[in-house]
Amino acid sequence: MRQPWAWILWLIAVMVVLTVTRNPFYLLIGLGCIFFVELILQKTGKGMQRLFSPWKLTALIILLATIFNVLTSHYGGTVLFTIPGKLPLVSGNVTLEAIVYGGINGMILAGILMSFTVLNLALPVRDLISLIPRAFFPVAVVTSIAVTYLPTTMRQFYKIREAQSIRGHQMHTLRDWLPLLMPLLVGGLEHAMQLAEAMTARGFASSKPQAGGNQAYPRILMLLGVMVLASGWLIQLVSESWKGWLLILFGAGLVLLGLWLTGNNASRTIYRRGRWNWEDAVGIVGALVVISLSFLHVPGMGNETLFYDPYPLLGLPPFNPILGAAMMSLLIPGLLALKSFNPHNL
Amino acid sequence: MKSRLFSLVIYLAATISGLMVLLYPFFLPAISVRSGFSSFRAGEMPALMTLLLGLCLLVLLYEAQGQVMNTKLIALLGVLVAINSALRFIETALPGPGGFTPIFFLIILVGYVFGGRVGFLMGALTLLVSGLVTGGVGPWLPGQMFTAGWVGMSAALLKHIFKHGRSKRTTKKQSAISLEIILLASFGFFWGFLYGGLMNLWQWPFIIGPQAQSWTAGLSFVDTLQRYLAFYLVTSLVWDAIAAFGNVLLILAFGAPTLQALRRFQNRFTFKYSPDQISAVSEITKGSAG
Repeated sequence: MRQPWAWILWLIAVMVVLTVTRNPFYLLIGLGCIFFVELILQKTGKGMQRLFSPWKLTALIILLATIFNVLTSHYGGTVLFTIPGKLPLVSGNVTLEAIVYGGINGMILAGILMSFTVLNLALPVRDLISLIPRAFFPVAVVTSIAVTYLPTTMRQFYKIREAQSIRGHQMHTLRDWLPLLMPLLVGGLEHAMQLAEAMTARGFASSKPQAGGNQAYPRILMLLGVMVLASGWLIQLVSESWKGWLLILFGAGLVLLGLWLTGNNASRTIYRRGRWNWEDAVGIVGALVVISLSFLHVPGMGNETLFYDPYPLLGLPPFNPILGAAMMSLLIPGLLALKSFNPHNL
Repeated sequence: MKSRLFSLVIYLAATISGLMVLLYPFFLPAISVRSGFSSFRAGEMPALMTLLLGLCLLVLLYEAQGQVMNTKLIALLGVLVAINSALRFIETALPGPGGFTPIFFLIILVGYVFGGRVGFLMGALTLLVSGLVTGGVGPWLPGQMFTAGWVGMSAALLKHIFKHGRSKRTTKKQSAISLEIILLASFGFFWGFLYGGLMNLWQWPFIIGPQAQSWTAGLSFVDTLQRYLAFYLVTSLVWDAIAAFGNVLLILAFGAPTLQALRRFQNRFTFKYSPDQISAVSEITKGSAG
C-alpha cells in the first residue's frame, strides 16, 4: 500500500475506533492491529529503524494513565482503599472503576501515539509534504526548504562546534553557546539570501502570486465558514442537535471551498505521479468498512456494544464477535506489506 | 487599508473560534445542566476539537501566507524554520530538564523583528517541520501549531512599545541586557506558562473522563476553572515553569546578538525593487537637467 491517501484513510479508521469506543475488547483488537502493522513494516524493511520499543512504551503509557486516574478520580462503587488527608485532587477513595477507566485511557492514548508512529514509518517525509493542499503552496515550499536544509544545518552545527573547539573554546555555561549559535544563524541567513536569488533566477513567483491570501472571494468564504463553524459548535455544545452538526459541516465546507478555489489557481507540476493499485483499493475498502460500522447501525453487527462505561459499578464489557472480526480489517496494510515482502531485497 | 482591516477580521474570527473550541470544558458544565444534558461526551469532543482547531489553523495559515509571501521571505522562513527545528533536535538529543525547549526564543525574536505574520508562520511551521522529521505528527499537532503560531504573532505587539525598535543604549558588547531584552524575556516567561496551559486543555477532559471530580454537570465557569487550575498545579506547573525560565535564560543570554543579526538581514530581505518608481525618478531627473 503506497498511496499516502490510503494510509491517511487507514489512520482515520484507527482514530474512529479509538474515539468512538471505550470497550476494552475492541480497543485491544485495535491496538493489536496497530502493533501488527508496525511490526511488519519494521521487519520488511519498509519503515525506519525503531527508536523505542512500542510494547514498553504502551505499557508505560497505560501504567501512567492508570496511576493518574486512580489518584485524581475518586468515583466508583468498588472502593479498594482511601488516601487520607486533604491533598488537592489526590485525597479520596481509590476505586476499581478508576483503575479500569485509567487503563482504558492509557490504551486509547497508546493507540493514538502508535498509529501516528505507523504513519511516520510507512510514509517518507516527501509523501507527507505532498499532502499539503495546493492553496498552501508557499507553506509547502517553506516546509520543503526547511526539511531539505535541516541536515545541512545539523552538519554546520557540528562543523562550527569543531572549529570553535580547535580555537580553544570551551562550553561551561549557557553563554558559551553564543559562538556556536551566532555563526549558525548568520550563515543560515546568508544561505537564505543566496537561495532566494537562485529561486528568483529560476523564475519562482515571476508572475503575480496566484495562490495565497490576495483573492477576495476565497477569503470571504473562509471568514463565513469560520463564523458558521463557531455557531455550529456552540449549538452542538448546548443542544447536541443535528442543527449543530449541519452548521459545522456547512462551515467546514465553506472553508474547504475557499481553499479549493484558491488551489485551482495554483499551477502544479508533478515529477512522478504516484500510481494507484489494487492494494491501495483494498486498504481503502477495509478502512471504510471499519468507519461505516463504527457509525452506522447495521442489524446483527451489534455496534451498541461499542459503548462501555465502568462507572458507577464495574461490569463485564459486551462484545460482538462479528463486529470484532470486521475491525480486524485494520490488519490489511500489514498483510499487504507481508505479501509483497521479498527477503532477497533486504 | 480595507485589505488590512479584512485581514484583521479574519485573524480575530479564526482565533476567537479556535479559543472557543479550546475553552469548551469551562462552559460546558453550566450549559449542559441548562439544556438538560449531563453527559460530558468525552469520547467525541477531543476528536471534534482537533478537527475544528485544524480548520481554524488552516484559515490562519492561509491568511498569514498570502500577504507575506515573496521569494526572499519564503527562503528566509525556510532556513529559520530549519534552524529552529534543529534546535528542537538538540533538545531531544541532549538530556535536559523536562519542559525546557529552545524553540520559542527564536520564534519570539523573529515575530518581534519581522512582524506578526512571519512570526505566526515561524511558530506554526517550526512545530510542523520538527513533527514531520521527528515522527511527532499526531492529533496534538493542530493545537501545537495554533498556539506556537500565536506566540510568534503576539510578539509583534511588543514593537509598539519600542516604536523605533531599537534600544537607546549603544551596544558595544553584543550581550548587553537592555530594557527591550528584559521585556522580551518577560514575554517569553509569560508564554512559557500560557503555552503549557493551553496545550493541557486539549487533553484535560479526555484524560479525566466524565465521572471525575474535575468535571461535574452544573458547575459554574469559576468552579470549573478552579478544578482545572488544581489539575494544572498537580500535573504541569513544574514542567511549564522550567519552560518559562528556559525562555528567559535564552533570551537574556542570546537575545541581543540575535536581534542585531536579524535586524541586519531584515533590510536585505524586505528590500523591494520597483521599476515604475525608478522610471519616474529618471524622468524627473531628465526634466530638471533639460
